[in-house]
This record gives sequence, C-alpha cells and structure tokens, in this order.
Amino acid sequence: MRIKVQREVLLRPLQQVVGVVERRHTLPVLANVLIRVADGVASFTTTDLEVELSARMAVEGAEPGEVTIPARKLFDIVRALPDGGMVDIKQEGDRVKLTQGRARFTLATLPASEFPATEAGEALERIEIDQASFKRLLERTTFAMAVQDVRYYLNGLLVELRDGGLRAVATDGHRLALAETEGAGETEVKRQVIIPRKGILELQRLLEGGEAKVLLVFGRNHVRAELADSVVVSKLIDGRFPDYEAVIPLGADKVIIVDRDVIRQALSRAAILSNEKYRGVKMEVAPGMLRVIAHNPEQEEAMEEIEAETEVAQLGVGFNVNYLLDALGAVEGDRVRIRLRDGASSALVESLSESGNRHVVMPLRL
Amino acid sequence: MEERPRKFVHVDMDAFYASVEQRDDPSLRGRPVVVAWRGERSVVCAASYEARTFGVRSALQALRAEQLCPQAVFVPPDFPRYKAVSQQVRQILLAATPLVEPLSLDEAYLDVTDHLGEAGSATAVAKRVRAQIREVTGLTASAGVAPAKFLAKIASDWRKPDGLFVIRPHEVLDFLAPLPVGRLPGVGKVMDAQLRALGITTVADPRARPAGELEQRHGRWGRRLAELALGIDHSRVEPERPAQSISSEDTLEHDLPLAELRPVVERLAPRVHAAAAKTGRIARTVVLKLKTAEFRILTRSLTPPNPPGSAEELATLAWSLSERVDLPATTRFRLVGVGLSGFVDAEFGGQGDLFAGGPAKTEVGAPSVRD
Repeated sequence: MRIKVQREVLLRPLQQVVGVVERRHTLPVLANVLIRVADGVASFTTTDLEVELSARMAVEGAEPGEVTIPARKLFDIVRALPDGGMVDIKQEGDRVKLTQGRARFTLATLPASEFPATEAGEALERIEIDQASFKRLLERTTFAMAVQDVRYYLNGLLVELRDGGLRAVATDGHRLALAETEGAGETEVKRQVIIPRKGILELQRLLEGGEAKVLLVFGRNHVRAELADSVVVSKLIDGRFPDYEAVIPLGADKVIIVDRDVIRQALSRAAILSNEKYRGVKMEVAPGMLRVIAHNPEQEEAMEEIEAETEVAQLGVGFNVNYLLDALGAVEGDRVRIRLRDGASSALVESLSESGNRHVVMPLRL
Repeated sequence: MEERPRKFVHVDMDAFYASVEQRDDPSLRGRPVVVAWRGERSVVCAASYEARTFGVRSALQALRAEQLCPQAVFVPPDFPRYKAVSQQVRQILLAATPLVEPLSLDEAYLDVTDHLGEAGSATAVAKRVRAQIREVTGLTASAGVAPAKFLAKIASDWRKPDGLFVIRPHEVLDFLAPLPVGRLPGVGKVMDAQLRALGITTVADPRARPAGELEQRHGRWGRRLAELALGIDHSRVEPERPAQSISSEDTLEHDLPLAELRPVVERLAPRVHAAAAKTGRIARTVVLKLKTAEFRILTRSLTPPNPPGSAEELATLAWSLSERVDLPATTRFRLVGVGLSGFVDAEFGGQGDLFAGGPAKTEVGAPSVRD
C-alpha cells in the first residue's frame, strides 16, 4: 500500500473520520484507521462498533493494499505538516512510513483483517434528499436530544421516513423538538428509527449545503448515509420512543404572538440574572404584553416588558430560559406563536410563517 | 485554641424510622419491622429492635434481611413523616443549646459547654432532652455525654436503646483502652485489617507504639489515629452545617480493572441513595471516585437535569462516568466511591417532565416507578 498525495487533500478525509475514534477502547484496532487503496481510490474507515465512518478520495499512481494505523496520530501528524507539500505514505512490512520533505514518521500497524467491519444488513427503505434540507432538519432538532439519560431511547434522534419526506424528533423529557422536510406532514410513516446521538452528530458534521444529495438507507439494525465522498453507518437504538405526538399541546388555548428577535433578546438579557443552576425565567402575560422576569439567589432581579399580540390576562409560567432560547433559535420567521394552557403545562412554540417545526417546553416550577 | 475542656452530647434516636412506624401503626408494635424499599438492590434503612435480634441492621441488603427474618414486616420509608418528627426533635435540641450539629434525621451532636442549665451538668441536660423527646414524640432516644465528639457518639451507643452513658474526662483513657480499634472513626474494614497486621487490635495498642510510627506509615491519618487512641479530638460542633456531599466508598479486597467495578458501584449506590434521602434534600450531582493501585485519585461528576430518583438510576449514572476515565486498560483500582453533592432543598419544584404527566415534584427518596 502506498499513496502520494498533497497534505490538504489527505487532511480532509482524515478530518471526516477521526471524530469517531475513542481515546479509550476495548479493542486496540479501534484506535486505528483502516486505509484501503484499490482502483485509484483510497478510503479511510474508522469505527467505535456503533458508528462507522468512511471517507474516500481519488489517488493517482497509488499502490493497492490495505492496512490499519493509529488514526489520531496520523491525523495529528498530517495536520501539523506544513501546507502544500506532498505526503508519501508507504507500507513496509509491519510498519507504515510517512514522509514529507525531510520529515519522516514510522507508525505501527495492525492487519486490516482485524478491523471490525460493520454488517449493515438488508436495506429496507431508502430516500434521497438534499443535504441542505437534511442538515436543516438536524440543526432544528438534535440540540434537544438527551445526554446519557437512563431512558436510553432518548439519547438519540427519532427519524421517521414518511411518504413525502422525513420527520425528526428529539426530546430529553424536558423539551421536545420536531421538524419535517417539506411534504412530510400528515403522510404515512413508512419507517421509524432512533439514531444514537453520536451517529447523528457525526453525520451532521459531514453534511454540506448546496445542491448535493444524501442517500439514506434504512436497515433493520442500521442506518447508512451515503454522501459524495463519505459514508456513515450507525447502529440504531433498539427501544421504543415515547408517544411524542401525545405531548404536543395542540389544544393549548392561551395564544401569544411576539416578534422572535425581540423575545430572544429580552430572554437573553433576563437570563443573566437567572439562577445559574435552574436557569429559570418567568413569563407573565397580560393583554397586549409579555413580561419576562428572572431572579437569582442574590435577590437580584431582571424584568422586561415586550409587546405581544394576546388577549390572555393573568397567566404566569416559569421556564428554563435555555430551553426557550433553543426553541426560538430553531424556528424560522420574524414572528412566533407561543401557546400555553396554565402555569403547570407545557408551551408550544411555532413559527407563524412555516409549519412542520414545533417545539414543546415543559415549565419549571419556580 | 481554647484550652477549656468542652462537653458534648450525642443524641441518637433509637431505631428511628422503624420506631416511627411502630408508633403510628399499633399493629407493628412488638413485631420485627424493617424499613426498606422493595427491590433487588435495595438496602435496609432501619430495623426495629425485634428485627435486630435476627441480625437485620441498617445498610444490609433488603433481600438478605428477608432471608434472615422472613416474618419481618417490610415497610417502605416515608421520609416526609420522619422529617416532621425530626423537626420536633430538632426544636427540643435547639432549646437546650444553639450549638446543634445534625448528622441526619435521627442523630445530632450538641455542644453544651456554655449551656449547662440549672443543674449545671451536661448529664442533666442529656437527661432533660431525652425526657422531652419522649414526651413530645413518644419515641426514645439514647444519649452519650463526653469531652469529645467521637467519644459522645460511642457513648450514645453504649446503653442503647433508651439509654444514657457518660464518659467523664478522667475516665476517657480507661474506657477506650479495651475497645476494638475499629470503633474509632475512620477505621474501616481495610484499615482494621492493616492495623491488625501490625498487631494493633484494641485502642490501647497504638499508645504502646513508638511515637511517630503510625504517622510515618499512614501520614496525617496515622497521627490522628494516635491522637484518637488517647481520646484527643479537637473537632467542634458545627451548628446547622448542612451536608455538602454524601458518599460511600469501599476499598477493594483485591485491586480490580475498571471493567470489573460495576458491581461495586451497584453495591454502593443504594447506601448513598438511602443516606441522601435521610437529609431531606435533593442532590443533583453524581460523583464517581476511583483510586488506582498507585493511589492516584480520580473523580468524575455529572449533573443531570433531573436528580437521580432511585438507587438504580444513581448506579447507572455513576457507572456511566466510568466512560470518562481515560487510563490505560491495564490500570487496576483499589477503591471505588459513589457520591452525591450539589444539594438543593426539596422544596425546589423541579423541571417538568413531558412523559410524567405534568411537572413532577421530585419526591425525596421516593424510588421512581420502574419495572
């Protein structure tokens, strides 16, 4: 195995795959990247047994072969090399030599046969969509995924393949984010999977804007995302996602319409004086007006009144300000609609100008 | 430092939770009562004296308790009720002296040096407090009176239940001498074994060792041990200092690799959960502490949005922190600790949960519903 390639060209696939390599691992080969050269293409593959990342690039005059070498070390070396030079990577027995100019490195290898391949299994459904729309879908939802929750099925993103597109839902039990690609709406659900947090975040990192497409292939236990020069294969979380539609308070009848930027700014200011632990802010509604109030243990107080289109009188609800700001940041348009029921029920945040993007936030009892 | 000898009282409610249950439910009186949650990994929170004759005691596995005493009545703990009684006791103690240091719902240290009352003796204060507790709560407490905190605690245990024991300053050395060294605070199973290997079995033994030997061997802790053996303890009563953290740790019999520590974490979690529930407050931060065979101490902590609601959740969270231990796979560990910190008052209403049907107020100590 031998490739000669410009440093920048080599750096890109390494950047794409190095994220999945764990510092601590049970199998030594998991610290390594599998380099495979065949038919003028070099591919780089890493895995943590849950997520497999693979990136490709065209190479000229390469010698075919396959081997694994320490991924992070290779990445760190290539990153530290000066710009513009040609990097020569060559397998010599059980070592790999990397040279650029007068710098030379010898790396230990493990045989490619030891590298655990992910068996993606039979493809049950597939869909091809714009990377830009898929990326947008993820940006609007992944922040609400749980982190290390004992309800393991929340530590990931629910993705529903529907007749007209995709719907994504994330929740950590305190707030919920739902987004759809255009046309997904009320169509039939063909497949429902939970993609674990790590897999979805790695995939999100690889997505680009523009016209490029991503092909999603759903299997029984895996999902595979094919991009122009990279592939992500992630195991799925085997669990039952909660009935999220039941907790979207569509019936909440206390409606408040506000300017999105105005309320975001007011909340950000009030947040400065909210309790650092609970991040609580109180929203008080009166006809034509929304008041945002925050207190902290030092008895400091922030209060701001903003104009709101509402007829609601006498309603006060506490929220974690971060959850509100996340939701307001994920919807589009100048005006948002907030629907409430009472001081103990969840709020529904939506854009006035688009449907298919809903955010639910549970209150904080202050 | 003030040289005047101080007078401490340690007040300890007898089989507190079990006694409250027996007081409130006459059908339980005279029967072995075990206060514990149901569950495979649950531990005993309290056992009535009837149950203790079968060998059931606090911190024992609930399953083991069931084997030892199948006729026992198992009652799930009701901390709000215990807390209310504890408040009544607290008021009585505070009437005696402002220097009250509660250790948990059922025990407290008092410094009565400057509050000896009309009778002018710490013993009289202890007697009065015990009588008032019985009158107001209908429950019994044992008390120990001594010139040092740790001695007062040993003393309160001496005539339990419903007893009073006094260690006068001139009696301290003789009283301590025959006690097993394990009675000293800080001497656990592992330390006990190490001391035993040195030929130290009773509290008198360290006194006979060359000065500085223990200190050389065990550092600052060795010096403290030598002092305790002589009845010297400068700790003061720290009034109303709420616990900053609660933890439980075990030194392992054999050093183990990380991957084999999960059972230890699962063993520790119920103890910590039960102890935290006793404080009547909620702890938000989960801590995992490890000590390597080379005595390097690591701690990892995590503050989940909702505090762990059960011992199982605590164990899961604590074990998840092991993923953040970045040491070679060959590392062996000699000690594991699980802790909770970041206490907040239970009055804090909490973040509502979407899947719990409304903003759930986290019940103190209540186990979450799990299958």
